[in-house]
Amino acid sequence: MTNRNIIISAFLILVSSSAFAGGGWPQPRGWGFFKLSQWWLISDQHYTDSGQIDPNTTSGLFNTSLYAEYGFTDRITGVAYVPFFSRAYFNNTISGTTGETLIPGESINSFGDTDLGIKYGLTLNKPVALSATLTFGLPLGNDNGGTQGALQTGDGEFNQILRFDAGSGFAINKMAAYANAYVGFNNRTEGFSDEFRYGIEAGITFWNDKITTIGRLYGITSFKNGDLPSERSNSTSVFANNAEHLTFSPEIAYNINEKWGVSATYGVALSGSLIFANPSYSFGIFYKLTK
Amino acid sequence: MKLSILSFLTLAIFLTSCIGDDVILDEVPEVVRILNPLDTLGVGETYQFEAMFTNNIGVEEEREVVWESSDPAIVSIESDGLATALEKGEVVISAQVDIDGASTVREEISLVVDEETVVTELSKSGTIRTTSSYNLSGDFTVTEENGTLIISISDNYEASTALPGLYVYLSNNPATTSSALEISRVNVFNGAHTYEVNGVGINDYQYLLYWCKPFNVKVGDGTFE
Repeated sequence: MTNRNIIISAFLILVSSSAFAGGGWPQPRGWGFFKLSQWWLISDQHYTDSGQIDPNTTSGLFNTSLYAEYGFTDRITGVAYVPFFSRAYFNNTISGTTGETLIPGESINSFGDTDLGIKYGLTLNKPVALSATLTFGLPLGNDNGGTQGALQTGDGEFNQILRFDAGSGFAINKMAAYANAYVGFNNRTEGFSDEFRYGIEAGITFWNDKITTIGRLYGITSFKNGDLPSERSNSTSVFANNAEHLTFSPEIAYNINEKWGVSATYGVALSGSLIFANPSYSFGIFYKLTK
Repeated sequence: MKLSILSFLTLAIFLTSCIGDDVILDEVPEVVRILNPLDTLGVGETYQFEAMFTNNIGVEEEREVVWESSDPAIVSIESDGLATALEKGEVVISAQVDIDGASTVREEISLVVDEETVVTELSKSGTIRTTSSYNLSGDFTVTEENGTLIISISDNYEASTALPGLYVYLSNNPATTSSALEISRVNVFNGAHTYEVNGVGINDYQYLLYWCKPFNVKVGDGTFE
């Protein structure tokens, strides 16, 4: 997740956040949560290193992914985010004077960078659920696509992310609600800067348990201890090095029945550095495996 | 229900994931430039002037150039730009191109006729400025020596290191790299440095252009003055 790390960071965070999963609660043994999602970001502007917004050639990034959590034990949950189809493109540049194509657009399609992790429940059946998650980010995407190597569906580096979550469930007027906060450290390779990650979220379920709304605020701060962006040639979009952002992302989910549901998520960077400035969107269908 | 949702998602993706068009404002004034001006032409000697016309997007086009001398008794000039010095004095040599039958573009230079021919020492300068939120500034001079263009960036130059793939170009259109000549990837972000470009004349281009290739976005430029 980065500017080439910039854009990647925001993207992975957005796609890996799912309704009814994550947070301080591991899945009970034999339970699971599975979500098929489509996430996309089309951007014609980005946050510069000074935090201002500059235009750029319109670029698109799309991920069709499977997110899964499965409880191996009551304390240990396996977590996977697998973007099995990822597409990146940028638009044609057309002369407003002659109508000619000055720079033809390009696109790539590939597998995307994949996250595999293990969550460990530090507490069980306590008012505050604490968990630690170790995630490995596998560089299965294309980090050097197109004629200029600027099209990416991954950052080309191996992440190791250690994250701690603290969550608590409660009731508001007999409606189930929860709040969660996390901090994490992303150790990055291949000259990419390490990152501090943080976030808070809260959700509430109402209308006979049919609707869940979630609000998230999360961010990435770069330690800037890696290569300068100028020392890299394939560091764009959400994959830029030294990228930072603070993002607000509301989500709404509709529970079709006890097991199936659909959700929609919107994400917008409130501030940032070296990352796309347009909002992202996702739709998904999820399945809850229970006993 | 589930099938309908998936169908909707698939349709939405296909509709939005296609390559589109970004239209840029890239119109520039048509110009004709005398590529090899001269200070002094010796009496009885000849000199072949050359000119280049660039259109409204800064691309070179073959056009008929009309050459004129302000005093043909001092310097005569033929339709192909071949000038002959006939007697001592001073004239204005002009190159003119008809645009569309209603307007013309023109460049003029002064030419002295004296005992010996003196070739003009060509030198230009300018200031690099940012056109984005990224830091980019500094002065530069351009000279031509033995068929090599030498671009000397001054020690007051600064450029942001936050951009991946910053490149510098020579261009006749500051809005695009489509017809520009790529000089080099930028590897110096502070202080004086030099670029040498073989086979390029000092009047062939009008702008230095700084461009971020991966984001395909202009960062800044500098006009040859």
